[in-house]
Amino acid sequence: MIQLRNLSKTYSNNSQKPVYAVKNANLVINKGEFVAIVGPSGSGKSTLMNILGMIDRPSEGEYYFDNRDINDLSEDDLAGIRNKKIGFVFQRFHLLPKTTAVENVELPLLYSDKKHIRALALEALDSVGLSDRATHRANELSGGQQQRVAIARALVNNPDLIFADEPTGNLDYQSGQEIIKIFQKLNASGKTIILITHDMSVAACANRTISIKDGILSENKIEETSKI
Amino acid sequence: MNTKEIIKSSFRIQRRNKMRTFFMILGIIIGITSLSFTITIGAGFQNRMTQLVKKYFGPNDLLIRAEKLKLDGKPTQNDLVSSLTLDDVKAISTSIPGIKMIDPGQFIYNQEVIAGNKNASTIIKGTSAIGQYVWNRTVASGEYFNAAEELNMSRVAVLGPHIAETLFGKVNPVGAQIRINNIPFIIKGVLDQKGSDPHGNDLDMDIIIPITTLMKRVMNVQYILEAKIVVDDEKHIDEVAASVSNILDSRHHLSINGSKDYSIVTPTFVKEKIKEMSKVFNVFLPLISLIALLAAAIVIIVLTLMAVNERMSEIGLRKAVGARSKDILMQFLLEVSATALLGGIIGTLLGLAGFKVFGIFMMVPFFIPWQIYVFGVILPVLIGITAGIIPARKAAKFDPVVALR
Repeated sequence: MIQLRNLSKTYSNNSQKPVYAVKNANLVINKGEFVAIVGPSGSGKSTLMNILGMIDRPSEGEYYFDNRDINDLSEDDLAGIRNKKIGFVFQRFHLLPKTTAVENVELPLLYSDKKHIRALALEALDSVGLSDRATHRANELSGGQQQRVAIARALVNNPDLIFADEPTGNLDYQSGQEIIKIFQKLNASGKTIILITHDMSVAACANRTISIKDGILSENKIEETSKI
Repeated sequence: MNTKEIIKSSFRIQRRNKMRTFFMILGIIIGITSLSFTITIGAGFQNRMTQLVKKYFGPNDLLIRAEKLKLDGKPTQNDLVSSLTLDDVKAISTSIPGIKMIDPGQFIYNQEVIAGNKNASTIIKGTSAIGQYVWNRTVASGEYFNAAEELNMSRVAVLGPHIAETLFGKVNPVGAQIRINNIPFIIKGVLDQKGSDPHGNDLDMDIIIPITTLMKRVMNVQYILEAKIVVDDEKHIDEVAASVSNILDSRHHLSINGSKDYSIVTPTFVKEKIKEMSKVFNVFLPLISLIALLAAAIVIIVLTLMAVNERMSEIGLRKAVGARSKDILMQFLLEVSATALLGGIIGTLLGLAGFKVFGIFMMVPFFIPWQIYVFGVILPVLIGITAGIIPARKAAKFDPVVALR
């Protein structure tokens, strides 16, 4: 599904030397995997997610998504892929305030050609156990509920791949566990999930853990075996 | 793309930012209110003038005046020249084909009239016996004076209904006597109600006597002030006007291009004059409203730019979930133009309401001129699109990575 070859992302300061946010990344993620990308803040993990999620473009190297080189794709093509194949869950939820839960969930469908979007949105809310909060405004919901709305939004267009960037970062332990369970359930139903976190205990729920530090990826097999 | 749903969600956002939306459209409301108000008042004024003039001056009518043309003020006796005569009228009526009727006119303004122990000051008009047909005056009781009475300089008069009531109350004055300049006149008839002329003179205050009587017995003058011609066919009006001009030039020994001691009022001329008088409503006041709308457009640009900055994370999110740049551009353009349209509709309704109220005082009947639809609906949308394009493009260019941070 995802294949990176010598992918780098650099930011040029005014100084001569470019700063690497991601350096020479090589990575293959297959369909149906549940991958955790772990690293401290500033390690480049958010940059990596933005690139993997096609919100951002790499500076060097290649990124194949479903065997297509994204360097060959236009901005509008990428928007289309984000819309149809990818769902995003953010640390700070990024719901539209003053807007009801169901309207928030509908958002990706506005940019698709799907019909009956209200029904699809309600279905997605139901799958995260929030159908009774559909007409509540986002700012009236608790943190855990807001994150579940955000997950419903990520799900609503039935994507193959879901990115979650510190999805439990703003939640208490209990809510965080519920969110993790939802991701595990989704993975069990066949969705590919890429979870970005700095928290090893959260990463432990994934089948595979990739560490990132100073922009350099390393796969820690020991983590995986220790989990079993 | 679900355009309909995007529009709906845009409206929801606008609704939930009531304050900003209100201030955004306030300028448009003010501009469009004043614009629609002045447009309707202007059109109403023009309509009223046209109606007034139509009642007084038909499409077959020509008016010769013994003065330099003055339509936008009451003519006073000082402005008049004394070179137009009954002989001129006779010459015109005998030598120009196409003239159906011609009626000479002479007046005295503010003449004291006495009836028994009552008196009043009003206008005395002298016409020929056919004056009632030429000026479309109908008689309510009694009759108009006849050709014989005109020829004999008889002391007879017909009264407008208001002056009749002033002098005689509810009593039918036909057969009674009035004194004008100490000369006794017998009242032959009372006219039907006619209303005002375009100058605002109350035609129902008229006392009409044979022009011969007025000239010889009351005023002792040889000249007339005007003559009204009714042409047999609207198509001949310019021809007849030209012939009248030729005859008067030669009889008064005037050169063709020199200054004249008469003027000829044609229906075309009257229309032009009304248009000119309506200019303040149709041109100058709307221009001021347009300046207000320009200010409104600037307010929209500023507030929308603020809104775009405020909504950076919303824009980033929309892009992350699949909105293309042009979707964002469209959304903001739609939002701004829909808001502007709302302002336009509110402004139009306020303007029309103002017209309805003000129209009562101006005696202008209420109606909706077609320009309203253009200025109240299309103009605000155009302003919205024009003012929205800068903020919308800024929004569309937001990098989602930055916007989501």
